[in-house]
Amino acid sequence: MIDIHLIINSLPNLLNGSLITLKIVIVAFSIGIPLGALISILETSKSFILSAIINIYVTIVRGTPVLIQIFFIYYTLPQFNISIQPTLVASIAIGLNSSAYVSQILKSGINAVPLGQIEAAKTLGLNIFVTMKDIILPQVFKTSIPSFGNELITIIKDSSLASIIGVMELSKEASIIRSRTYDAFSILLSISLIYLLLTTIVSYGVKILNQRLKINAAS
Amino acid sequence: MLQVKCLTKSFKNKKVLKNISFEIKKGQIAIFLGDSGVGKSTLLRILNDLETYEKGYFYLDNMPLNLKKINNDHTIGIVFQHFNLFDFLPTYKNITLPLIKSQKKTKAEAISIANNLLKKYNLLQEQNILAGKLSGGQKQRLALARTLALNPQIICLDEPTSALDPKLTLQTANDIKQVAAKNRIIIISTHDISLVKHLNAQLFLMQDGKIVETSDTKNYFLNPESNPLIHQFFSDFK
Repeated sequence: MIDIHLIINSLPNLLNGSLITLKIVIVAFSIGIPLGALISILETSKSFILSAIINIYVTIVRGTPVLIQIFFIYYTLPQFNISIQPTLVASIAIGLNSSAYVSQILKSGINAVPLGQIEAAKTLGLNIFVTMKDIILPQVFKTSIPSFGNELITIIKDSSLASIIGVMELSKEASIIRSRTYDAFSILLSISLIYLLLTTIVSYGVKILNQRLKINAAS
Repeated sequence: MLQVKCLTKSFKNKKVLKNISFEIKKGQIAIFLGDSGVGKSTLLRILNDLETYEKGYFYLDNMPLNLKKINNDHTIGIVFQHFNLFDFLPTYKNITLPLIKSQKKTKAEAISIANNLLKKYNLLQEQNILAGKLSGGQKQRLALARTLALNPQIICLDEPTSALDPKLTLQTANDIKQVAAKNRIIIISTHDISLVKHLNAQLFLMQDGKIVETSDTKNYFLNPESNPLIHQFFSDFK
């Protein structure tokens, strides 16, 4: 049933695919976290126009499929004579999508910071950016680590959508091997295990990080 | 001298401060007494630009005081009732952060100021402990040290002894006296008679958003009946 030879022979291709997958994940996460943080900061703005723009962005990004967002960037940018490699297109689309979710994670965290600390910062002459950077976000990031872990796992799984625009990541490599060998079970089982390994590493890493932060806080 | 004139503040349709006026000289301690909800904390919050107000005029040494700027130029500082420390930061960083980020001191200058204050307030051993892990009395002293580090001319203390035992109340009173002795204006909101007894201060009794009686601690404690409303207020709290 399981063709071990096929799996062993496919390993170099699957490894290459895994590296592309990791590349997409790293770039997307590197876009999602800072952009999400910026959105969450701007969301606290008293400007009605700014809040409205942020609201529309978050609503659209969260309310439409990542696949459509990938297509949107992949097919519309060339119409404006902008050419980007498919791997980068997928990374940007997944990163933008993630930023909307990250902003909501951080928004809940910001709302949980006691108002008294924000008032204290104001009376001590700290401006809003220093207050955010040095007082609010460090606390929010600590409490948001489990949610960031979940977001990273989502990005790992969403990265498989890059195959639709021809990116040779893990799913695409598997798809090619499957169409060449007609052995769907062995190859799909292999990539499922690779995805599972990646997401398990993230879950475990987040768990350890969380425990360390709790120990540090307790000491 | 701090002069506040015709200060009026409402929350929705309820007037919490009704045209109040008062003066406090440098080196003086002013204590605002009154039940919860009479507007004492609101007054302190307005002075620290944490609340807006409908009407009011503010002067320091006969010069108009722009409350929108007082946090940036550190004219006024406040020690909050619940301290509002940055619990996740080590004790010393609660003091150095505003010095570095707001007063643009170098790290070495900020640490030197922090060390002096931590030593003065007996917190040097706790300097690396997270502020959230300090005891109530230690938090109170750290909150005062954090405010003093910025060297404000006016210091507001909102219910400074509400969470402290009698021994710590006496210590806080001594700390307040020392701070006032440096020609600063101290404004306290409290209903703790044990704190009032330890201080040489101006008393302002507030009721229903107005200052209804004024005195000073020396005269009041010599002859409490001469200030019937303040006397009644303290009697109610005994």
